[in-house]
Amino acid sequence: MKIDKILASVFQRSFKSITEEMSIVLTKTTRSPILCEAKDFVTGLYDGKGKMLEQTENLPILSFSLGPVCEYIVNYYGDEIYPGDVIFHNDVFSMGNQNNDVAVYKPIFFEDKLIAWAASKGHQADVGGAVAGGYNPRATEVWQETLRIPPVKVYEKGKFKKDVWDLIFANIRFDMVAADMRAQIGSCVVGERGILKLVEKYGLDVFESHKAYLFDSTEKMMRAEIRTIPNGIYQGESTVYYDGRTPGSKYKIKVKITVEDEEITFDYSDTDPQTEGFVNGTYTSSASATLLTFLQMVNPDMPHNDGMIRPVKIIIPEGTILNAKYPAATTFGNHLCPPNADAIIRALSQAIPQRVTAGWNQLLCYLTSGYDARKKDNYVDIGFLGLKGGSGGTSGVEGYDHIGMIDASGGVLDQDYEMFEQQTPHLLLKHEYWPDSAGAGQWRGGLGVETKFKIRGEKTKVVTFGDGDVEPPFGLFGGKDATLNKIELHYPDGKVYKTTSKDLVEDVPSGTVLFQQAGGGGGYGDPYLRESAKVAQEVKNGIISLNRAQEDYGVVIDPKTFEVNLEETKKMRKKKNK
Amino acid sequence: MKYRIGIDVGGTFTDFLLTSEDGTSEIYKVLSTPDDPSVGLMKGLEEMAKIKRISLREFIQDVETIVHGTTVTTNAVLTRKGAKTGLLTTKGLRDALEMRRGIREEQYNNRYLNVEPLVPRHLRYPVEERLDYKGDVLNEIKESDIFDSAALFKEEGVEAIAICFMNSFARPDHETIAAKIIKEKYPDIYLTVSSEFLPSIRFYDRISTTVLNSYVGPILKNYLTSLLQKLEDAGFKGVLLIMQSNGGVVSPEIAMDYAAATLLSGPAAGPVAGIEYTSVQGYEDCLTIDMGGTSFDAALIKDKTPLITTEGEIDRLRLALPMLGIVTIGAGGGSIGWVDEGGLLRMGPQSAGSKPGPACYDLGGELPTCTDADLILGYLDKDFFAGGKIPLNYERAKKAIKEKVANPLGMDLVEAAAGMYRVINVNMASGVREVSIKRGHDPREFPLVVAGGAGPVHAGMIAFELEIPIMIIPKESSIFCAAGMLMSDLKHNFVRTYSARLDDLDLKKLLSLFTEMEEEAFKLLKSEHIPEDSIEHIYSLDMRYVKQYHEVNVEMAKEELEKGDVGLIASKFHPEHNRLYGYSLEEEGTPLELINLRLLSIGQTKKPQFREEKYAQEDPSKALKKKRQAYLPLKRTFEQVPVYDGHKLRHGNRVEGPAIIEQVNTTTFVTPEYSVLCDKYGSYTMYLKAKEIEVKERLGISS
Repeated sequence: MKIDKILASVFQRSFKSITEEMSIVLTKTTRSPILCEAKDFVTGLYDGKGKMLEQTENLPILSFSLGPVCEYIVNYYGDEIYPGDVIFHNDVFSMGNQNNDVAVYKPIFFEDKLIAWAASKGHQADVGGAVAGGYNPRATEVWQETLRIPPVKVYEKGKFKKDVWDLIFANIRFDMVAADMRAQIGSCVVGERGILKLVEKYGLDVFESHKAYLFDSTEKMMRAEIRTIPNGIYQGESTVYYDGRTPGSKYKIKVKITVEDEEITFDYSDTDPQTEGFVNGTYTSSASATLLTFLQMVNPDMPHNDGMIRPVKIIIPEGTILNAKYPAATTFGNHLCPPNADAIIRALSQAIPQRVTAGWNQLLCYLTSGYDARKKDNYVDIGFLGLKGGSGGTSGVEGYDHIGMIDASGGVLDQDYEMFEQQTPHLLLKHEYWPDSAGAGQWRGGLGVETKFKIRGEKTKVVTFGDGDVEPPFGLFGGKDATLNKIELHYPDGKVYKTTSKDLVEDVPSGTVLFQQAGGGGGYGDPYLRESAKVAQEVKNGIISLNRAQEDYGVVIDPKTFEVNLEETKKMRKKKNK
Repeated sequence: MKYRIGIDVGGTFTDFLLTSEDGTSEIYKVLSTPDDPSVGLMKGLEEMAKIKRISLREFIQDVETIVHGTTVTTNAVLTRKGAKTGLLTTKGLRDALEMRRGIREEQYNNRYLNVEPLVPRHLRYPVEERLDYKGDVLNEIKESDIFDSAALFKEEGVEAIAICFMNSFARPDHETIAAKIIKEKYPDIYLTVSSEFLPSIRFYDRISTTVLNSYVGPILKNYLTSLLQKLEDAGFKGVLLIMQSNGGVVSPEIAMDYAAATLLSGPAAGPVAGIEYTSVQGYEDCLTIDMGGTSFDAALIKDKTPLITTEGEIDRLRLALPMLGIVTIGAGGGSIGWVDEGGLLRMGPQSAGSKPGPACYDLGGELPTCTDADLILGYLDKDFFAGGKIPLNYERAKKAIKEKVANPLGMDLVEAAAGMYRVINVNMASGVREVSIKRGHDPREFPLVVAGGAGPVHAGMIAFELEIPIMIIPKESSIFCAAGMLMSDLKHNFVRTYSARLDDLDLKKLLSLFTEMEEEAFKLLKSEHIPEDSIEHIYSLDMRYVKQYHEVNVEMAKEELEKGDVGLIASKFHPEHNRLYGYSLEEEGTPLELINLRLLSIGQTKKPQFREEKYAQEDPSKALKKKRQAYLPLKRTFEQVPVYDGHKLRHGNRVEGPAIIEQVNTTTFVTPEYSVLCDKYGSYTMYLKAKEIEVKERLGISS
């Protein structure tokens, strides 16, 4: 069939627009804050074989998580896929990325032929298992974390399977989850409608051939991007701290990146074995992390479809911390993205120094839950506003302040302060940039954040998960390291407890103050090359102290007028250069 | 003769629509004067007087009303040339304004910077005070903080101040205390107090909107003060009204206090015009599109009411005032065509603007634009662009498209130009999808009102893409917004947050909050000389299912609210939720909660009457100018098509597609699938040929 190149553009635009519509439906109708406020979900369209047509990735860590399962489902059911089916899935041992990320797949039929899939995946507030919310630092196997949902039909041929539905939700704590799963189904219906309209308009043959052309064209684009990276083998490593079981434990992530003309391979074969606890990745979550980190180093304006991933090979042997063997606990897996990204950045900084950033602040997050007597109801709250530190600086551009971990790259939003005080019993005392938290550099890192709130309510439980409290985000090319993460509980009786990075604290009394520091991002380039007027402005704005301006940047500033003392600065900067 | 004038200041041109009491109307355009837009405005008035061969004084004395749309506030934000602003906010939370809840819109782009905050950190002054979630005082306000801040602001030469404290939507007291001190210390400062300006929940939304108001307030105040003076000096004794983003107009005095309400007013008159042009044909609903040089605006009107949203943004800064839900995308005559690395053709969002402009303008532009493609395809006449005022250079257009599009794609010139035409039409169609399908409406059920200089060249194919059968191209399509301004009523929005489960609703409290808002409305409209019987109130509630985060706005009649029937309120909510999002939780019995009460108060204004033309038969041959080659997109070939002089088409004339209708300020391409009928006001209805009988009925033309 002759290809109408213009029509290929039309299809690309239409696919994207449909997945955006699907995403709007989810934002507006879901109830769990992690979905509707933090947008921890992805919507996508796949072809009949499960290959990605286009996605709307609110949270990049989910970018690679729907496609592999779609292919698995296509094989799993074979010719037992019917119009009107709706399939649920969360199982990490059949290509899922994380237990809590539950997916809905809806096959799309045109004249009795399976032509495409609409899918959505969102982080559900509960998935069964031993602990509400799914985060169970004590888990050593999957059943302690979740109800496993391998592919299962909740509708078949349009008929609702009440028994299956009830079986699933009998094993999940909050009613909200069933409502949110309904919203996910609604989103897939919207996707199905959109695809059918296109196929009805242009015909199936045209749809198929132009889809193939679109994949090829995007592949070409990615190949051209890879070609701009010098051929070679680049190695990088990073450390994962504390597996939630053995204090002081450490695991290495090692990546060997091979660039050969138009292809790139990420090989994790030398990475350390999996842990006994829940600090383990799955292939899908780890590959997704690899991909999102790499995508930040190429032209961001590229269609997201199967063609994009064809020239990228990712090898993660089973049994490593990034691809744990059945029946390991893996809930922490998505959060291995930050150290994985660090290893990749370190490797590629040798090849494309202008395009990598310095190290990002790593995730450290709290979750509070308990009873809110004002509403006579339980609540769960994930501390989005507290966890967002800074990103690393890059050549010519500062790090982004208060952006949060690289897995989300600014896709997760803070709770609005006033909504936070309506939805939880807590009282927010502080949420501001953390001065001097960013790594100094010619291009400084992004600023971190300090958060303080008074815990109120009853039966309060505080869970923490993350990393970044041992090793600070690294500076690059002369830039300085940034600051560490920290969460402390200041009890009413004056005692202070510093949490570990994977902790569970029960019966926290009302009146306790939770204090969190989310660190900044690493600096890029020699801080002595930073424009002194910029430093002065930042001192005036109170985000860099006078001392640090002098020590880190060699800039002497008049504390009254905030003007640069040019002569002293010149002397100071000269001294160092000698 | 008495006149009414609509004046729309755009980036390139200032448009005027002059209507007279005898029902005639005239269009004028002058070049805009961005440094002081009132210069261009006064020049336009002078030119109009000159054409009428009278003095400006004689002319302006007869002008009853001027409705003015201004972008001075918009430009102040986009160019960061607003007032130097100081902010008082609750201690511990002073960075909320800059953080914007921590979003990075382009997640894969590490070179993407945060937007510069309107108030730098050292002018965001933390004040010790604290209210809890229901407005109870936890910490008394420390008044010395306010005195200290005033001293700092004076020293820094601050020109405007904003006050926004945590939870002040629930109790204004602390903000009132702070405002009082500031006013004593700084009597002439431009001050915005969040609990007066936008007393609704969501801290970031409120602080951002409050700051925007102070940032642009002094700019608008200076501009309007000087404009009023100039008009008065010229002898103007009529009424000046200012266009707002909510589709209503307002007196200049009130506009000065609510300056942020004009921030997205540029395209806001379009939907109002759309209602007028379609309601004369008996429609209650319509879609409007306006395609200019750099941007494309789309809006949806249902039951003669434009869609309202409070989810606005300007330059990535949150603006939480009610405004028309207009979708703007970067598509216009100046949109640049390019081929990406994968070999896909793209159009925009970069635009060649008016300088250097499209390649065919011959002003140094070398990149191929939409206008260049339109010229190659024969839709535009190189000798009759802007009535011949701007000669177009065909060779330049050809060279640009060949080099930048045709060669990289391995296509010939015409294929490439046709591809550009098609891709930009798809982009615009997706803008229309966004205002319709994404909000639960089927665009095929709406007539499409087409405006803007470039709109009628593309409308046929946009409509075809969306399967829209009927389009209306108003006579005033090129100055659509200026026309809409003359048709706008006075509109004021009010809001109160009342957060409660519907089951626990205190009806007395709800009604007293509405009464409070009504009283404010009467006071404002009275100051604008609107008699009480010309005032209409529209009541609505923002509600959601318990634990949802996003609200659905549901309109209610006053009598319905007074009944206090919770079931009735719920019964209005469920279907609306279902329409918007494809499901409701009525059967599950999920409880509802109320968040905000909203009041929209409307003061009716006098509208212009347009003169009706006599019926003049179907035959358009008197208007036939010539024939020329134009490209037919579906047939993929050039054909000889008739070209009509739009100014000579008369009521009842029918032009069968394919054809081209040329007017001085716009060209209409009638695609082969459609025909055009000219109505009694001189507007065109373009319809799928199968719809002819229906259209004739609506237009009162017997076949």
